[in-house]
Amino acid sequence: MKQALRRLYLGLIFVLMYAPIVTLIVLSFNKSKTRAKWGGFTMQWYRNLLENEQIMNAFYTTLIIALLSAIAATVIGTMACVAIQVMGRRSRRALMAIANIPMVNPEIVTAVSLMLVFIALRIGLGFRTILLSHITFNIPYVILSVMPKLRQTSRSTYEAALDLGASPLRAFFQVVFPDIVPGVLSGFLLSFTMSLDDFVITHFTKGPGIDTLSTKIYTEVRKGIKPEIYALSTLLFVTVLLLLILVNYSPEKKESHVKKTITRATRIRYMALRRVLPAFMALVVIAGGIYYGSQSSLTGGDSVIVYNWGEYMDPAVLELFEEETGIQVIYEEFETNEIMYPKIKTGAIAYDVVCPSDYMIQRMIEENLLAKIDFDKIPNIQNIGSTYLEKSTEFDPGNQYSVPYCWGTLGILYNKTKVDEPIDSWSVLWDERYADSILMQDSVRDAFAVALCSLGYSLNSTDLDELTAARDLLIQQKPLVQAYVVDQVRDKMIGNEAALGVIYSGEAIFTQRENPNLEYVIPKEGSNIWIDSWVIPKNAQHKENAEKFINFLCRPDIALMNFDYITYSTPNTAAQELIEDENIRSSTIAFPTDEMLENCTAYRFLGDEMDSVYNEFWNQVKSN
Amino acid sequence: MSNKLIDLSNISKAYGGHTVLDELNLYIRENEFLTLLGPSGCGKTTTLRIIGGFETPDSGQVIFDGQDITHLPPNKRQLNTVFQKYALFSHMSVAENIAFGLKIKNKSRQYIDDKIKYALKLVNLEGYENRSPESLSGGQQQRIAIARAIVNEPKVLLLDEPLGALDLKLRQDMQYELIRMKKELGITFVYVTHDQEEALTMSDTIVVMNQGYIQQIGTPEKIYNEPENAFVADFIGDSNILPGIMVEDRLVNILGATFQCVDEGFGKNTPVDVVIRPEDVDLVKPEDGTIRGVVTHLIFKGVHYEMEVTANNYEWLVHSYEMFPVGTEVGIRVVPFDIQIMNKPISEDEEAVNLEA
Repeated sequence: MKQALRRLYLGLIFVLMYAPIVTLIVLSFNKSKTRAKWGGFTMQWYRNLLENEQIMNAFYTTLIIALLSAIAATVIGTMACVAIQVMGRRSRRALMAIANIPMVNPEIVTAVSLMLVFIALRIGLGFRTILLSHITFNIPYVILSVMPKLRQTSRSTYEAALDLGASPLRAFFQVVFPDIVPGVLSGFLLSFTMSLDDFVITHFTKGPGIDTLSTKIYTEVRKGIKPEIYALSTLLFVTVLLLLILVNYSPEKKESHVKKTITRATRIRYMALRRVLPAFMALVVIAGGIYYGSQSSLTGGDSVIVYNWGEYMDPAVLELFEEETGIQVIYEEFETNEIMYPKIKTGAIAYDVVCPSDYMIQRMIEENLLAKIDFDKIPNIQNIGSTYLEKSTEFDPGNQYSVPYCWGTLGILYNKTKVDEPIDSWSVLWDERYADSILMQDSVRDAFAVALCSLGYSLNSTDLDELTAARDLLIQQKPLVQAYVVDQVRDKMIGNEAALGVIYSGEAIFTQRENPNLEYVIPKEGSNIWIDSWVIPKNAQHKENAEKFINFLCRPDIALMNFDYITYSTPNTAAQELIEDENIRSSTIAFPTDEMLENCTAYRFLGDEMDSVYNEFWNQVKSN
Repeated sequence: MSNKLIDLSNISKAYGGHTVLDELNLYIRENEFLTLLGPSGCGKTTTLRIIGGFETPDSGQVIFDGQDITHLPPNKRQLNTVFQKYALFSHMSVAENIAFGLKIKNKSRQYIDDKIKYALKLVNLEGYENRSPESLSGGQQQRIAIARAIVNEPKVLLLDEPLGALDLKLRQDMQYELIRMKKELGITFVYVTHDQEEALTMSDTIVVMNQGYIQQIGTPEKIYNEPENAFVADFIGDSNILPGIMVEDRLVNILGATFQCVDEGFGKNTPVDVVIRPEDVDLVKPEDGTIRGVVTHLIFKGVHYEMEVTANNYEWLVHSYEMFPVGTEVGIRVVPFDIQIMNKPISEDEEAVNLEA
């Protein structure tokens, strides 16, 4: 009985540890694009993965950076250890404390300070700066794993080697180094893993046109993570697993310690460790160097630096633009407006063309970060519907700074099998009949927009009484809400897990394709209309190229390509005409009528003070 | 003996303000077995490390075979060291350990193999070529360390407390082994130890050191029988060190009683230290002794009895084949030749660290 309990406990631990990974592996073979549905077995994502140049590129960059930074950090760290070892006790302690700071320092602090240093030294952010940063944060890990090994080695073996005629260098490599190899190796592996893992520091020190896996995956959060990434993660996991198994089942363990003789086998392993492995690494590094050398040589010519949301443009569009204009596109992606904003504000990188959302554009205009667009250079602006330009005046008065790119609305997605009445009002979200079947957006402005609109107030309200009322309404709604989520609204609705969900129209089109029982509505009290538009920062180096790029995107055929790829509504009415699928062309989700949009307003930036009022009220709702 | 091989002149060394060696002068002759003996912290290991090249003196010169090697790094010196903790290379086999120095000198394969065989034979470990050092006992490891050093045919072998980590029986065996090896090799040994018995057994010359100063240099017999000061007397074997007054030549007053002795030239009524070895104190009938005393302690030591006799307010340590029970009244007598007179220490540095008897 006790035995059974023990096994159960062990089993439970294993389930908890491995269930997430198993889920991931299963999903990588799932034909359906959504996490909620099993659509049959497929190898499709693996095939797509190998064909996806962007991901493979990011993957290669990640490996190269991990390898190079680990090697450099290992060399530097080991040398540092040797130096620290011969110091006096006091200076050794002081130095170890200093060496540990980067490890205990919050990553974000390290990241921002590194970025500032690079900017101050006028080192262009890019591959170099990522590498330097990774080396920097890896060194303490190497020191941490080499130092104890080095302290274990007796100084007299080193002296014995000198005594027997070895030069100090030879004595170190032949006598001391073999003793600390385990520490050096584990320092190397630790660095390698830390570098593979890192997101925050990479994010702040990377330049346009370069991505590691972590930053690449993160940029995709807005549109949901692609199944190719599951496939990639599965491959990574399996590789690591195989490596671990290989390492743990090496024959070394079988040797008895008592009568240990140094055999041919140990000699061969020693050789492998000392010659083959470094040779292999050197090869990869050289290959990487050549690869990047050839890559960077391309950047010499005319170019435009684009900073866009993740997964927010058909890669074919970029190729087409390069072909037609001969201008090289350096493309970088961001995850949220708030992550994009400081990069523009600090001027770390001179982006030429950026795609922020409405309220952020307003803020950037107010802070004088944007350049006026020369609309003579953008004749294709005529393809943009006047409704959208008019809505844009909310955040860009006079339409001087921005050209709309994508837009959408906030509304209610409902499951017709669970809700039989027609829905046209936010008030349904307070209906007791749907208790525990309602999904709310886990974001301040969206949640308050719902409450403010249903009370008949403006969703840009700054009136404390109105906000208090909205807050109380949200608190009152809380018991009925199944969950406050962001991404999962889509999956949960597809999986029939809830009856009603607050969602953006772009997601709604996708969910409808997966589950025909779902319907989307913009409530009659009004809602949010969001617009992502192209703007040109003040410090852009290639303003004309940026305008060419914007003009290119406004071409109907190009806008259509992007619409097909992104599936968010396009403000390009000429492109809308070109849509072949009748259902989509006339879909009121993708293209609501003007009267449906009548009550819709874009979010405005309300100032830092109001921002904190909203946040405080939202915290009160969530913690209530 | 033959000429000076190593000559240390005016060597000083300090660590962070703490003086370890102060103006040390010492020479070592060819083919000599010289032992640096003293308590820990006396500077003996530092002296050895300066000879080996692991430390550079703050001032002074090291002359080796007529050449100044004060600043020569250890790998350029024609001497080899056997370290206290063996310092074998654990990732190499015994043969590889021994071949280490020879490979650096680019000797031929055949030469190296022959040397390994020869060295292993010398240290009585034939057939151990492919063993890992970690699989050997402490004594065996020390022999390998010696073998590794001597294959390089050094002119001098430095040994830093090589037997310190071994147990008593093994240590005694190794002492004989070392003497045998020394004879076979015909090279100079510089040996560091804090074990006076080891020093007395093996050395041609003993250098007794304390607090960075040489206290006495001499043959084992001379050091034992004629210690020059109270520190040496106390450090080498057990001693009774008594305050005395040299009345005149050949006459000394100890604890109020007058003894005959053989020393001359201390002047009249000079305060001195008197050393009397415990085995030189003869216990006789009370009326026959120079001083009377009472036995206060008695321990059987195997070869002899060890007793403490209180006489004239001093506890005399006595070794004797005869047994006198506690409480017995005895007389103390000392043959004049066995009384060793020493000058009182002049400087503070020279003063014996009063090791408790």
